[in-house]
Amino acid sequence: MERGFAPRFVIQATASRPQVKKGHLWLTLSDGEASITAVAWASKLKQLDFVPADGDGVTVIGKLNFWSARASLAVQVLDIRPSLSTVLRRFETVKAKLLEEGLIDPSRQRKLPDYPKRLAVLTSVPSSALADMLRTAQERWPLSDLLVVPIPVQGEVASIICRVLSRLAELHDQLGLDAIVIARGGGSREDLIVFDDVDVCRTLANFPLPVVTGIGHDDDLTVADLVADHRAATPTAAMVTLMPSKESAQQTIIQRRKRLGEYKRWRLEQANSRLKERQVQLHALRPAVALDRRRNQWTQRQQLLRALSPQRWLNRGFAMLHTTNGQPVQSIDDIRLNEQVQIRLKDGVVQAITETIQANEITDSQASL
Amino acid sequence: MPRKKPEPSKTSEQDNWREDASQLSYEEALQALDVLLSQLQDDSIPLADLQKNHARASIYLDRCDLLLSQVEQSVRQLDPNTMEERTLDTSNNE
Repeated sequence: MERGFAPRFVIQATASRPQVKKGHLWLTLSDGEASITAVAWASKLKQLDFVPADGDGVTVIGKLNFWSARASLAVQVLDIRPSLSTVLRRFETVKAKLLEEGLIDPSRQRKLPDYPKRLAVLTSVPSSALADMLRTAQERWPLSDLLVVPIPVQGEVASIICRVLSRLAELHDQLGLDAIVIARGGGSREDLIVFDDVDVCRTLANFPLPVVTGIGHDDDLTVADLVADHRAATPTAAMVTLMPSKESAQQTIIQRRKRLGEYKRWRLEQANSRLKERQVQLHALRPAVALDRRRNQWTQRQQLLRALSPQRWLNRGFAMLHTTNGQPVQSIDDIRLNEQVQIRLKDGVVQAITETIQANEITDSQASL
Repeated sequence: MPRKKPEPSKTSEQDNWREDASQLSYEEALQALDVLLSQLQDDSIPLADLQKNHARASIYLDRCDLLLSQVEQSVRQLDPNTMEERTLDTSNNE
């Protein structure tokens, strides 16, 4: 009867009641209408990357076993993988759990080192992802030391990854690490299910150093990406994120060298300019200059004095009256009749004798003043 | 008469700076350079120190330049079981 079926076939079904008996995994595969027993023999079970939980959607590669003694049919599992819906359901469940625990929180994300001295790269060895990362690191920043830590990245390997991460967390100081990268090359979303493992993600979230993920392709998002300090779209992008650009660093050095020359020139020019200012000040304080200044002040005062001299009133036609002993006569009270007086004019002096003294008549308007 | 202690010559002083700089990482050398650059901008630094600071800053710049010209990256592998380092076998990665 077995010969009537294809030697291998693919079934997409929901796994129910998976249980291990005597080392073999027994489960029921159902498509909603029909169901059939399936078994993964112990020897195969050890090689499987994924063991389904009850209700998981699965894709099974199998062949048909027929036991004539019991007249029963069973699917012998050759490989079993989670379906995309199972992977996405697990992603949502773990994400919700870690959100609740506060481990998925943008405020927890730490700053990445500007110039990392040493990085640990956790990925599969050998792999094209590692080769890409090493090439990118070499091109971008060969100054950083890399410590490659081989880890399995597919299948039921969460406990191994957790163990390696825990050991690295203990020894990070001793190893001189500044950050870690956990990476895996592309594949189907189902292949990345280990990066949705709750323990792996918790360990990553609590890692003492900044964590950068570079898992799968650009559009693959895992819970590990959500708990990391930085999510890069690919392994190569993870190295670009963590490492500064050698070219831009060279530009920085060229600019600094230019600034260094400019600062020195600027300081010398500034010192020179201050020196010149002081030279000007010193020149202004010479004795000859001080003497000139005082001479100018004297000349100004002399001119002022001349401007204020009584002679200018005499020049305008006024006269000044003095008694013989030189007292100015300002009022009729200062002089008597028949007294000799001197009348000073602009160009000489007249001697005269008073004949009459007559006071001014006081008008009403004058009296009121 | 007590002898005056000889002052260190400029050359030996610069040799010391060069030796110190050779221990610095790129980031450390860049930081040291930036400190000196900000001092050079500061008016309060005596003019006599200008040449000294300039020479020292040039040494840090040379150190950064030298590090950037480094071409070989150090890549080691850590044994995940023993946590011991060893040389990475990259023959399968190319």
